[in-house]
Amino acid sequence: MAWSMWWKEARRIYKFPGKMEVEKYVYTPGLHGLEAARKLKEEGKFVGTKCGDTIYYPPTTFCPDFSEGGLAEVRGPWRVAAFTVIRETMEGERLEKPIVVALIVPDDAVGGIIHYVDVDPDKIYIGMEVEPVLKPREERKGNPVEDIVHFKPKIEEGEG
Amino acid sequence: MRVALVSMGWSGFRPSVEELSFREMMFEAAMRAYEQAGIDPRRDVDAFISCQEDFWEGIAITDEFAPEPIGGVLRPTLTVAGEFLQGLAQAYMMVKTGYFDVVVVESHAKPSDVESMRGVFEMAFDPLYLRPLKAPNPHFLAGLMASAFMARSGVDREHLAMVAVKNKSNGLYNPRASHSARITLSDVLDSEPVVDPLTRYEIAPFSDAAVVAVVASEEAARRLTDTPVWIDGVGWSTEAGTGSMAWHDLGSMPSMRMAATMAASMAGISSIMRDTSFAEVEDRYSFAELMAAEEALTGDALEAARMLENGDFDRDGYYPVNPSGGSLAMGVAFEATGGARLLEAYLRLLGGGEEVEAGAERALVLSWRGIPTRTSMAVILSL
Repeated sequence: MAWSMWWKEARRIYKFPGKMEVEKYVYTPGLHGLEAARKLKEEGKFVGTKCGDTIYYPPTTFCPDFSEGGLAEVRGPWRVAAFTVIRETMEGERLEKPIVVALIVPDDAVGGIIHYVDVDPDKIYIGMEVEPVLKPREERKGNPVEDIVHFKPKIEEGEG
Repeated sequence: MRVALVSMGWSGFRPSVEELSFREMMFEAAMRAYEQAGIDPRRDVDAFISCQEDFWEGIAITDEFAPEPIGGVLRPTLTVAGEFLQGLAQAYMMVKTGYFDVVVVESHAKPSDVESMRGVFEMAFDPLYLRPLKAPNPHFLAGLMASAFMARSGVDREHLAMVAVKNKSNGLYNPRASHSARITLSDVLDSEPVVDPLTRYEIAPFSDAAVVAVVASEEAARRLTDTPVWIDGVGWSTEAGTGSMAWHDLGSMPSMRMAATMAASMAGISSIMRDTSFAEVEDRYSFAELMAAEEALTGDALEAARMLENGDFDRDGYYPVNPSGGSLAMGVAFEATGGARLLEAYLRLLGGGEEVEAGAERALVLSWRGIPTRTSMAVILSL
């Protein structure tokens, strides 16, 4: 028996499979998170936490300095602050179509959102202006990661 | 009162330790450490600290499993849900109180038992703002960090590859470095990335391992060994935390700088680069070593890249960085990863042996808890 076959066999016999139940939780967005969820679901707008003169995104009720934050709309424009291309799964399988992921930061806030960008991996660059493509209102849940299909490069009128 | 490492033991450091359970690996590492220190854990150890996380073990309330394999049954045993070096800092403080003469620190990892590694990483992601992305490879976060780091610092893609070449080759001298290989710059650069810009050579694989350290007061250490390695300073920092993505700058790691500064100031060192002679630092991704060098050693990423390029960080260079091969060659062993860095620095200091003038040889140990954390720890050791 080839070593690799033996190893697989030994592993099958002498390992005892188990499962750690991790799939059933609900997560509470919190006071500001709830308001942000409503705004996103109903109006397709993004809301962050205002602490002093700075807006943070995503929102929390509290600020980094422990003060209480207010709500403020985040208008963008959104820009690529860092990007990567996933070409292989964690388990080592090559992806047929590489996936572009970026940290996208709005000009008017600190923080940002990590999401997919529908763009040729060779065309993306840091500083590129992108815009969120939202699901239709009836499909939105209020969670920005789920409600955004992906970001796409912003094409100014008259271009392309 | 000074605090010392009296001995260190280890087990595993292989991709898969098929024949032992994680508890047996703890037992083996502990036995080695106790034998070297000449102590009986049932009598001579005042407290035990085990560093572990439930999800890595696949057991909830896994601290219940901590005492037995390290000799801590019905003895003061506590767990730190964090990194080995955080446990070491805890041990340091306990000894400093004067109530504990000998404290044992343990951490272990059995990643080969984790069949849903992606799922465990995802469970650590912010459940509202990151996890729903369901990306097929959580290392993408490291890809983003590398991208942001290079953009901010101007460090070249080639420099990242040089870290991989250096560390994978250094590992060839280290019996615990199962993932070492003789590779060239073009091996790395010509390889298709896993998550841009990182190739398989630049993402440390996992290793099963256990590490145990016996920490003691100066008086106890002098009684137990002729070769104490002094813990001159410890430091740790968590920035805004994993849960608050909002104020993270992915291109830098202030927690590394803060941890290193804290340890250095405790050790009475103003310049780590000048006052230590080598470092074992975070390198579970190639860029992380340059980030660590910037935050803790040079204060400037381009300077760190220049030193790397000049060979200054080579194992026989002016200031060796990860002469053990680091995590790229030894593998990531969950919460024991920083313990591995400490182990290698400890052994290298001892290896310097009698040629070294006491107090003249110092080392920096720096570790990060890996994605998605913003937690880092540092230790300054001296002989």
